[in-house]
Amino acid sequence: MTRLADLAKVVRSKNAGALLLTLDLMFEDEATYRRVRDSGVLDAARIAALYRVSHNAVSVIPYDVAFAIKITVPRAHASGDPEDGDVYGAQQHAPLLDLEVP
Amino acid sequence: MRVLAASGQLGYGFTEQAFERALGLGIDLIACDGGSMDPGPYYLGAGVPFVSRRAMKRDLALLLEAGVTRGIPVIVGSAGGGGGEPHLAFTRALAEEIAAERGLGFRMALIHAEPPRDALRAAVAAGKVRPLGPIGELDEAGVDAAARIVAMMGVEPLQAALAGGADVVLAGRASDAALFAALPLMRGHDPGLAWHLGKIIECGAQVTEPRVGQDCVVGTLAADHFDVEPGHPDRRCPRVRVAAHTLYETPSPYELTEPGGVLDTRACVYEQVDPRRVRVTGSRFHARVPYTVKLEGVAALGFRTVFVAGVRDPVLIAGIDDFVRECRARVASEARSLGLADDDYSLNVRVYGRDAVMGEREPVRGATPHEIGLVADVLAADEDSSRAVMAKLRYMLLHTDFPGRQCISGNLAIPFSPSDLPAGPAYRFSVWHTVELDDPLSLFPVEIVDVGVRA
Repeated sequence: MTRLADLAKVVRSKNAGALLLTLDLMFEDEATYRRVRDSGVLDAARIAALYRVSHNAVSVIPYDVAFAIKITVPRAHASGDPEDGDVYGAQQHAPLLDLEVP
Repeated sequence: MRVLAASGQLGYGFTEQAFERALGLGIDLIACDGGSMDPGPYYLGAGVPFVSRRAMKRDLALLLEAGVTRGIPVIVGSAGGGGGEPHLAFTRALAEEIAAERGLGFRMALIHAEPPRDALRAAVAAGKVRPLGPIGELDEAGVDAAARIVAMMGVEPLQAALAGGADVVLAGRASDAALFAALPLMRGHDPGLAWHLGKIIECGAQVTEPRVGQDCVVGTLAADHFDVEPGHPDRRCPRVRVAAHTLYETPSPYELTEPGGVLDTRACVYEQVDPRRVRVTGSRFHARVPYTVKLEGVAALGFRTVFVAGVRDPVLIAGIDDFVRECRARVASEARSLGLADDDYSLNVRVYGRDAVMGEREPVRGATPHEIGLVADVLAADEDSSRAVMAKLRYMLLHTDFPGRQCISGNLAIPFSPSDLPAGPAYRFSVWHTVELDDPLSLFPVEIVDVGVRA
């Protein structure tokens, strides 16, 4: 088992508009990308649990041409709402870092 | 044809070296995105840019000088950041100031993007407005309650401005990609390639390496492909970075919704033609009926005051939740004595070092940091009320007892004097919807003005 943080070159989060958060994982080479993509670790149920949302609201899209995996979840609060702590959504990736990949 | 993206954002800058080199390639269009909703609701609500006036003027002056003296059309979209009326007026004034200082004359189109409320109410009543993501339906009261609502234009208003003889186009809120696609589409280029090129280069040097600040990017459109290359001679566009940009700030890399249709990248091939350039083929654009554009709007929340302080006392850190709860109760009592009821304000205390970044989504629980930061804010209807509640909160946090307290002369390290920082009016996004249009131009009137004396 290897931490996702040790396999990915990029683990980033960002707003996709004011209501959604999008998390991109990018890999240096195709083999590592396929290892993570095919591991089953990044399934909607697991992401839903990490981000405390319904699994119906999660999308996980592999993007072969860039060796990337895109995950989109609703934000906990709209960007800039009084309860929001991350207007740009740029620091919401940490829960992914410690996922163990076989 | 060749289009130049000067920077990812007007005011984020670009090097004159890259700009001159790019112009030397022979450029048919200079465009630059001027805005974003990423900095949050304040800038749209307050009607102000999120970059400095000085930086905007520097960038805009270079664009206008180059475009006007060489006869290259210049398009700035989402002018002034939010692309509303005050943002557009701000950018117009800047352009006029630059023209006067540099002796430039040009025909300028101003494309308005803050639709009249009766048009929006009518669209709501006709069932033409729908949520764009997890937000409630917009009703007429929601339209009335908003402090500002902008609509995001597609290529058609930009094309109308260019067809009307504009040398310079300052557009209100606009699709970033449309700024680059409008002219190529007028000249008959493939819509898939034109829109995809726009999407790839609208963030400027984000698709280049090394990543050191913003800079120019050049897109070259041919019949069956487009190429992307950096303006700067010391940068390059790596294939993976260009392909990955299709992911950026969008829920799907395969379907990107734009005004009037969807960019489909499923069949795209990205090819490194030389160390600096990437070639893209296979992009498709599917026009959608009805034509829809995005609406973005904010509602005013009142006035915000912010307070920042650190805590180093281990006993206080261990019991911070109980302590803050106690302080909140005391503030409520004190505020009532000032004539402020509990629902006249909202008070929020964030605990940095624990869960302020991720809130309820923070997976790490039970860790005890040696130091924490408190960021408190008070929202109230007016500045006086907001500041009055914050002053009470500051006193309570600083001097309230807690079990085991030894630091009896003060609980906080306050870094600034003044400690209570007025943050101005606050807003929240209240409109994030789409609206169907019978005519892509209908919400976006084009105004033509002559600036200076044309050569």
